[in-house]
Amino acid sequence: MEEEKIQNTEKPLEITVTIPTQAYFLSGIRDFILNFTKNVTGFSDQWAFRFQAVVDELCNNAIEHGSAAGQTIEIVVAYTPSKYLEVFVKDNGSGTSKMTAKQMTDLFKERVHMTSGEYLGFRGRGLPKIVGEWTDEVVFEDKEGGGLVVRAKKYLRKEDEEVSSLVNDPTHLILK
Amino acid sequence: MAQVQITIEDLAGAAEGKTIKLVHLVGQLDESNVDEEAKKIYQLIESVPQGLNLIFNLEGLEYMNSKSIGYMTDWYSKVSGSGGKIVIAAARENILDILQVVGLTQLVTAYATLEEAKLAVNQ
Repeated sequence: MEEEKIQNTEKPLEITVTIPTQAYFLSGIRDFILNFTKNVTGFSDQWAFRFQAVVDELCNNAIEHGSAAGQTIEIVVAYTPSKYLEVFVKDNGSGTSKMTAKQMTDLFKERVHMTSGEYLGFRGRGLPKIVGEWTDEVVFEDKEGGGLVVRAKKYLRKEDEEVSSLVNDPTHLILK
Repeated sequence: MAQVQITIEDLAGAAEGKTIKLVHLVGQLDESNVDEEAKKIYQLIESVPQGLNLIFNLEGLEYMNSKSIGYMTDWYSKVSGSGGKIVIAAARENILDILQVVGLTQLVTAYATLEEAKLAVNQ
């Protein structure tokens, strides 16, 4: 019943979770994202799994680079019914390998335009290939007081629901 | 913390002169466990310096992140560089989806079933 009420409302639904910078907690975040996307939004199961991977990769990056050990990261999931699903992943800039929004934007643009054949290295697939290809907008912003916010947005579109997992070009990427 | 079990066995009935190992991955491979678990595969690769054939049975794998895929790419490079082969079998749709989006299926053949993978590798 509660689920039905949520689905019928036109008001955006926003949930915020703060976790310590430990990968230990990420399986719980993935469970939450998968269930939220499957049960509350209008996205298909396939897109629920994809959004789960998008959020996991963003959290990994924030933990590895943005917030130092012993600090926290914040995850905000926002669903605007019948329109789009967004995630904001925020670090506090205390990480030893933190980057500015401009640096991240430049890096992202560079990697997003590489072809799959160039991705033979050990790392560097998560942001351009998973986040980039499975969302419609990715925006990096510097936080006041330090840190970074990464916003990834996926529009709810009928044509995306018809995409097969065997299609090589699953979505369109708009980098702002 | 995500849990994953990796078990490795010899393929029964492997053609003479062929070293074929089945690697069963069950659970979730993520940032919390992949570095530790990957060591098992590196040990396996080091134990067979030439002509190792690996079949990754992904039937029980629920999740893998980009770092896990990075490891798999590295295993592919090492094994294929020493005259061996790596294939994937029975991956769930979400796993196949993520392998495809990062381009790994352009390097490593994915078979729908374990039986198909065994037949292909054991020829």
